[in-house]
Amino acid sequence: MRPLMLQGHERSITQIKYNREGDLLFSCSKDQKPNVWYSLNGERLGTYDGHQGAVWCLDVDWESRKLITGAGDMTTKLWDVEYGTIIASIPTKSSVRTSNFSFSGNQAAYSTDKAMGQNCELFIIDVRNADSTLADQTPTLRIPMTESKITSMQWGPLDETIITGHDNGNIAIWDVRKGQKVVDSGSDHAAGINDMQLSKDGTMFVTASRDTTAKLFDSESLMCLKTYKTERPVNSAAISPILDHVVLGGGQDAMEVTTTSTKAGKFDSRFFHLIYEEEFARLKGHFGPINSLAFHPDGKSYASGGEDGFVRVQTFDSTYFENIFE
Amino acid sequence: MKPMKTSWADEVEADYVDGLPPTKEYTQGNLKFVAEYKYNEDGKKVKVVRTYKIQKQTVPKVVARRRNWSKFGDSRLDKPGPCSQTTMVAEEVHMVFISSKELEQAQAQEPQMEPGKNIARCRICNGEHWSVNCPYKGTSMDSKTLMESKATAAAAAAVSDASKTGKYVSPFLKEGGCAIGGGIGAKPWVRERSAVRISNLSESMTEADLEELVKKIGPHTKLYLAREKNTGLCKGFAYVHFKFRQDAAAAIEILNGHGYDHLILCVEWSKPQP
Repeated sequence: MRPLMLQGHERSITQIKYNREGDLLFSCSKDQKPNVWYSLNGERLGTYDGHQGAVWCLDVDWESRKLITGAGDMTTKLWDVEYGTIIASIPTKSSVRTSNFSFSGNQAAYSTDKAMGQNCELFIIDVRNADSTLADQTPTLRIPMTESKITSMQWGPLDETIITGHDNGNIAIWDVRKGQKVVDSGSDHAAGINDMQLSKDGTMFVTASRDTTAKLFDSESLMCLKTYKTERPVNSAAISPILDHVVLGGGQDAMEVTTTSTKAGKFDSRFFHLIYEEEFARLKGHFGPINSLAFHPDGKSYASGGEDGFVRVQTFDSTYFENIFE
Repeated sequence: MKPMKTSWADEVEADYVDGLPPTKEYTQGNLKFVAEYKYNEDGKKVKVVRTYKIQKQTVPKVVARRRNWSKFGDSRLDKPGPCSQTTMVAEEVHMVFISSKELEQAQAQEPQMEPGKNIARCRICNGEHWSVNCPYKGTSMDSKTLMESKATAAAAAAVSDASKTGKYVSPFLKEGGCAIGGGIGAKPWVRERSAVRISNLSESMTEADLEELVKKIGPHTKLYLAREKNTGLCKGFAYVHFKFRQDAAAAIEILNGHGYDHLILCVEWSKPQP
């Protein structure tokens, strides 16, 4: 295969996401401009200009009308996907680490960092009639996180719950109506959760942790179902929507990169079988650790964003589909 | 355009902005070609022709509508189609499939490198009995003459070593014992094995080269060339199992210090694996 290399960012990629149909690919990085691309040919549709700091997270609603981003400039912004204009800019007390639309697109959640004397906090806002006044409205729910800061977050089924992954490796489910914790995973992971991605039907999700493993959890009971072991921190993991495959991306910490060679094969995307927990393929490409991975909703291609600032869109060859796991 | 000008050289000078012809586009069937002219790093004029394949796809209405959105932000000035500044086609990469079978096979092959399970191994015919009891003892196979005169001394040492029977001779006192053991004295395992380790080989060494090298000396049972896992290049050493111990001794005598591929080979008895 010949991947598409998208070169729209000046600094390392922090998150990439496809929209629901998979025709658009959104990417954000530590520079200040999230980008949107046509996933088919890698054409850049535009950039969302307005943030003043590193953009840590983004999400697009299911109609691909609104985009939510959270950044180190202590704002979370809602964008019009088509025109690249700001709908609302909500100030926060510290930088925004995660942000997600609920499945219906009626609500959005974002979490802030524990920094500058501020506690980590989870906010839920109503975005049905979002306009610039959203900045002054009070969030519909605020949950202070006393234990450890949130490093990744997903909406649970039916928009009733929120699953949070924490810096200490904890995973918890919060009931949006009660505003309190309903399930706690305990200590399945020994170190921070870098990423969580749901399976296509939302019944389970895969975590990527700094403790060098990725794990598969049931999204209702938080029971650990499977473990995928590697020998380096995992930054992102995604489940294939059509096959029983999991792709893992990672690498050593950014500060150690200069002292290791790319030849050592630390920056590959690694494919594991979802059920047998066994690695069956690798794919090279990045010359820095992979920070974010996303499967195309049709399962025939996937994209990876790396510390090297590139987004690579890989379309699978027939060999990938012919490869029968044994 | 000025109709008066006929010379193409003049046109180049006058009509083009900074001396570069304009970008040309043309389509042929389902292929679109874009020819662009630019200066490369050395200041030379180069023509870049990009070929695009035009594909038709059926997509949901919303997706088709989104295809027609106008560009914004930093891309607002871009023409339709991918911009070469931001979108590139990377080099060909291949998925490397790892099957569990391959791993098992690799592990299964490892034990073969270890010395044979039978303790008794004839030095003369390589059979599973002590050399003393060898039926070929004292025959032509035993006192096989070697083609290289240089080797005769070592071979003789090995043969006489084999013919010594009853009386115990300490390894230090054995003729050629010091040479075999490399000064430390021959270890018991040296007597049983006919494997040698060849080191200081060049990276470009292949199995064929290795075979060519040792073929002259005598028949061998196994060749192993250590290769780098990822690159497949030679790691610089190899093991050769000779059929006969004399040949192994001869190989050490002949090849040790022998120049090969600009490198001086080091050949010694293979040490048993721990």
